[in-house]
Amino acid sequence: MAEMWINMGPQHPMTHGLWNLRIKVDGETIIDAEPEVGYLHRGIEKLCESKTYTQIIPIADRLCYGASLSWSHLYCVTVEDLLGLEVPPRAEYIRVAALEMQRIASHLMWLAAYAADLGAMIGFIYSMRDREVFIDLLQALSGSRITYNFPRFGGVAHDIPPNFERDSLRACDYMEKRLKEYEDLYEGSKVFMLRNEGVGLLKKEDAMNLGVTGPSLRASGVRYDLRKDMPYSVYQELDFEPATHKDGDCYARFKVRMDEMYESCKIIRQAVTKMPKGKWRTLAPRNAPEGTGLGRVEDPRGEGVMYVVGDGTDRPYRLKIRSPIFVTVSAAPKMLIGYKIADVVAIMGGLDMCIGESDR
Amino acid sequence: MAERGKSTGRPEEGLERAPSRIGEDPEERVIRALLDGFPNTVTDFKKLRKGVLRAKIERRELYKACKLLKDSLGFEHLSMISAVEYDSGFELVYHIVSYQERLLLELVTTTPKDDPSVDSISSIWGGANWQERESYDLMGIKFNNHPKLERILLPKDYVYHPLRKDFKG
Amino acid sequence: MAFRSKDFLKWCDEVLEGILRKSPVGSGIDYVTKDFFNWATRNSLYYLHFGIMCCALEMAVASAPRFDAQRMGVIARSTPRQVDILIVNGPVSKKLKPALRRLYDQMPEPKWVIAMGECAISGGPFYNSYSVVPGVDQFIPVDIYIPGCPARPEALIDAFIKLQKMIKDNKKGLLTGK
Repeated sequence: MAEMWINMGPQHPMTHGLWNLRIKVDGETIIDAEPEVGYLHRGIEKLCESKTYTQIIPIADRLCYGASLSWSHLYCVTVEDLLGLEVPPRAEYIRVAALEMQRIASHLMWLAAYAADLGAMIGFIYSMRDREVFIDLLQALSGSRITYNFPRFGGVAHDIPPNFERDSLRACDYMEKRLKEYEDLYEGSKVFMLRNEGVGLLKKEDAMNLGVTGPSLRASGVRYDLRKDMPYSVYQELDFEPATHKDGDCYARFKVRMDEMYESCKIIRQAVTKMPKGKWRTLAPRNAPEGTGLGRVEDPRGEGVMYVVGDGTDRPYRLKIRSPIFVTVSAAPKMLIGYKIADVVAIMGGLDMCIGESDR
Repeated sequence: MAERGKSTGRPEEGLERAPSRIGEDPEERVIRALLDGFPNTVTDFKKLRKGVLRAKIERRELYKACKLLKDSLGFEHLSMISAVEYDSGFELVYHIVSYQERLLLELVTTTPKDDPSVDSISSIWGGANWQERESYDLMGIKFNNHPKLERILLPKDYVYHPLRKDFKG
Repeated sequence: MAFRSKDFLKWCDEVLEGILRKSPVGSGIDYVTKDFFNWATRNSLYYLHFGIMCCALEMAVASAPRFDAQRMGVIARSTPRQVDILIVNGPVSKKLKPALRRLYDQMPEPKWVIAMGECAISGGPFYNSYSVVPGVDQFIPVDIYIPGCPARPEALIDAFIKLQKMIKDNKKGLLTGK
């Protein structure tokens, strides 16, 4: 038959970020796939060995630009583990509220790109409009739209602005109404459901073995969320449920992310109303002791881990970053084999890839 | 916040017991199984905080220990493989996670400076495949029996290993 | 006159080029239609769907409801053969350099390049990294530079307006190029 290798990328409207997907097709059906990454490699791990600890916070923002607050928070958590620093409770609540807003903004960005790829331009327009609500809140909090430079070692950079609580509660009410409209819009569309149900199956054992984490893992039936199972920050005092689904196809991943947005609205409401008064930052020493620090958080895309080795000076000796998308992309061939070329867009779009963190 | 406690692996020191659980702590079970299976080569247990354990292992026993962890102790997820370079050699740190018991194990092996090679565990956990390729690409550590040990982040014809300390960009 | 297809094409090229480009007929047509074509070009600039890093998010948001860029006639297209502008919005790594150069070569004339954000202008926060090219103007000629890290969507729309003014000031006929 007509077997050949096709290159999808590096420049392709489906690829958010630059990566190359080489698929071997037999007619229309895919028989093999091989992703290629590395077009965005900036050498961040080597760069961090020549900068001080504080100078790396804005660079950690630019690791994954879709959810940049999550990565600078992860870096601060790792270095606080190395220094043994206590964070005051008010700072923890501010961090949690900002992180969940960032999670909603990141999922809305994913939804906009996903809908635009599958042909529903109306989804792009609606999601971008709603994302602006949360970007405005984060801009009032930190001063910038996408790379915030907001967390610091021992807390956050500054206190919340006036009327922040009132505005966040209004934003959560608005978002919950809009989420109901999205359900009607997407699930009522026959074409959208046909393109998503039964496509890109990833079974539970494969997902756990291949290192897939985050919403893609929860869509395959494993109920594991770092915020509930190995909690960090003040998540053990907040009341929410991790979203799971048992099918493992594209529709399951879509549904998990929509449910996560509901849960994030619940968390934001609790965090801004329960915020205690007090300090929002403790000062950190300049030189780090010798030793190692480990930080693990639940990024909107999966499990992000950072491992830092300190050597007594004010620059890290080694900083290692684990990106969830790097490992999920390597699991892509398992999900692609047996489907058609037109399904590639739905499958790869459903994984929510932000190649900046994969290539570092 | 989490507190840092250190223990040497004996059950009497400083580990709290949940009243409703019959039997031993999951961390204790892991430490005991590793000490039984590899009596001399697994050393230096430390409990960093609740649910995080650290252990050192020699590099020739790494493959068998990982097989034991996956098959009988239920560690389903390999999280990260890091490589650090010191003056005396390279150090590889494996972070392995158990979903059921909510545990994280940090396994550390060292290799000498002139022979940075270790067995590949990508046949046990498929998620190790690309992480090992990245360690080879950036730090130059060779993994024996890896299905496809090639450069992944840098161009295919690049000569150096940039994360080594003697590479001045 | 029996021509083979290659010879026929060569004859077409020579005759048409002689009539249109080198003779007064060509410059006459240009003189009449120059303003019209220039107006059409500058009000319908298409850019390439090419996002590298953070500034690409702001480029996507520029077509979103709040900062609507379609008012200027600016739409994103997927293939380099159909676009006028290439927006470079992130750091260019050494692995990407040949691919980007090939994309630039595949665009038809007249074409313009916008360097958006600090990383494309000079390497940005990663200027001293071993795998980043410090500035995209080392291998591609750039027309407009947008500073900012990340550059705001309003800055990108301002860049489109400045580019339109630049095209209006340098009017060139399409046939003769003068």
